[in-house]
Amino acid sequence: MIRYKWLFSVLSLTLFSSGFSQDANEILKKADEKLLPESFESYRKLINEEPDGSKKEFIFYSVKKGKDNVAMLYLSPASDKGRSTLRKGDNMWLYIPNVGRPIRITSLQSVVGGVFNNSDIMRLDYSVEYDAAFNEKTDSQYILDLTARTASVAYDKLKMWVDKKTLLVEKVECYAASGTLIKTLEFKEIKDFGNGLVRPAVIETTSPLYKGFRSVLIYSKLKLRKFPDEVFTLDYIPRLGELR
Amino acid sequence: MRVCLPIVFLLNLLLNGVAISQDYDFDIPEEEEEAVIAFNGNLDAKWGILKAQEESPLYRLNFFNTDNDDTYLSQYRLDFYFNGEYRHKQVGFFMKSFYQYTKEGPIDPTFFELYGSLNLTPKLSAGLGKRRYFWGKGYAFNPVGYVNAEKDPENPDLALTGIVSGYFNYNKSYNSAWLQNMSFSGLILPQEAEFNEKFASAGNTGLALKLYFLLRNIDIDFMMFQRKDEPQRYGLDFSTNVKTNLEIHGEVSYDRDDTKAFVQNDDIQQRKISGASYLFGIRYLTKQNTTIIAEYYHNNRGLYKSEFGEVLSFILNRVDSGNTLLVIQTRIDFTNQFRTRTFMRDYAYVKLSQPEPFGWLYSSINAFTIYNLNDNSFTLSAQLGYKPFTNFEFLLWPTLFFGNDVSEYGSKQFARRVEAWLRFFF
Repeated sequence: MIRYKWLFSVLSLTLFSSGFSQDANEILKKADEKLLPESFESYRKLINEEPDGSKKEFIFYSVKKGKDNVAMLYLSPASDKGRSTLRKGDNMWLYIPNVGRPIRITSLQSVVGGVFNNSDIMRLDYSVEYDAAFNEKTDSQYILDLTARTASVAYDKLKMWVDKKTLLVEKVECYAASGTLIKTLEFKEIKDFGNGLVRPAVIETTSPLYKGFRSVLIYSKLKLRKFPDEVFTLDYIPRLGELR
Repeated sequence: MRVCLPIVFLLNLLLNGVAISQDYDFDIPEEEEEAVIAFNGNLDAKWGILKAQEESPLYRLNFFNTDNDDTYLSQYRLDFYFNGEYRHKQVGFFMKSFYQYTKEGPIDPTFFELYGSLNLTPKLSAGLGKRRYFWGKGYAFNPVGYVNAEKDPENPDLALTGIVSGYFNYNKSYNSAWLQNMSFSGLILPQEAEFNEKFASAGNTGLALKLYFLLRNIDIDFMMFQRKDEPQRYGLDFSTNVKTNLEIHGEVSYDRDDTKAFVQNDDIQQRKISGASYLFGIRYLTKQNTTIIAEYYHNNRGLYKSEFGEVLSFILNRVDSGNTLLVIQTRIDFTNQFRTRTFMRDYAYVKLSQPEPFGWLYSSINAFTIYNLNDNSFTLSAQLGYKPFTNFEFLLWPTLFFGNDVSEYGSKQFARRVEAWLRFFF
């Protein structure tokens, strides 16, 4: 009988924990849907602030389709205008008009400098790249531990704070496999973009590895829009501006 | 005064409040305009100091009968790139022009691109005019770049001129884990004007085709080129990320009846050869954010070590003759017959790029070497970049050449050079 009790306890624990984990993944999926709709376009401004107070600013036009297709066109400054980046799942390319052809880049690099890297700016849904489990539940927040599903993901672990009522992400901490905190993303300025799209318009990033640096990503004119699959191809990258 | 203070405070609060909220607003360039007309470009002011190798056959050929006694030469030039585009719905017109100023006098524009395009759908596009193409995956060399202008391995990012062509592109995506995207490019290549500066034989029209696949995580291209009286070329290239920080790429081209120039009996001659040129390379990102590009290139058309020595002896013989007409003719023949940046057969290229080294903001260091594996000569170069202001860049670029007198890099007309560039973008 004692043996059966043991078996029952182990089974219950396994079922309970898997259900618990599935619940966390459901919340992650819903948080993703709130942050990034299925198919949309947006304009984004990236401000890189240096320790001496100086700033570098970029403006992008971005489009996304499905869970793993993202493309982005640089609109300013003039020195970077016309560059574009494409992400299809783990594949990432950079197109520079003078170089003339898309070259493969990695998610760890930063094509714009500052604290944001390529995977932050060309981010896919969190639920595509991470498996979620509950760390803690407070009265107002879910705190999730996210573990990378594959080795090709930029950060091994994330800790995510999600508002219970709105299911909007409030903060994400990004960790290396060693447990070192790489950067913190704070989601601010909840804004109604229309068509039921209510989400943070500003993401601020700081990193203990880059003391004194701060990067701010501001969303504007985020709109639901359908795109053909062919928009997210190497052939189309140089023509991305036609979508505007 | 007591009344004023709260008002000032409130005004201050209000203004600051407005300022904070305005921080998150920004103007979007050229938004929602029916037709887009846009211009951009850059002005590069370049100043260089070059150390001449007065005994080099190439120096003696190019500086024959000049009055220069100075070993160190300077060069100042302004390179102006002016680009324009007009887009209205599916129709576009594109121009990339280049102007170089070295001294007072008329400056003729060079059109790198001048073409119109018709983008019917995201799947279909076509166009006509002078346009640049960039076939191949190699960074410094492109054996399958049949329709590309030849890259300068010392500056592979340099803007180059295009080719007159009519092109057609078809692009299709698939919802498959294996084949995700396929595209087809067809190019019709009219012959450049041969007679009366306007006409060419219609029979010399060329054809180039390329078929691209994104197969799982691998980019693969198959290409071919054909034109009457020119070598037939068939090639393939690939590129893929084998790890998040490691990309590998390669190109192979089989060229049938290619023309190889060489020196025999104190004259430049040609013979037909067939065979493969190929390239393999990697792009690796270290934990310190250093990007390493390494490539090996085999050039089937290239000269063997002994053949290159014969070319140098031939030039020396002509220069030593002292016959001005003969030297000028040799200069023309050499330029026409050996119109290449890679004279010989086997090269290794390694480049290291480090953004913001030692925590220096807005700076970057690139260092590269091109090593001739046939004669063990090489060049070493570094680019020190600094971008303190938006749309402005400063570059300091020293280059050294090493090798014995009869080697490719050891026989360059300049043994070393330092260039300073100021770049303004608009």
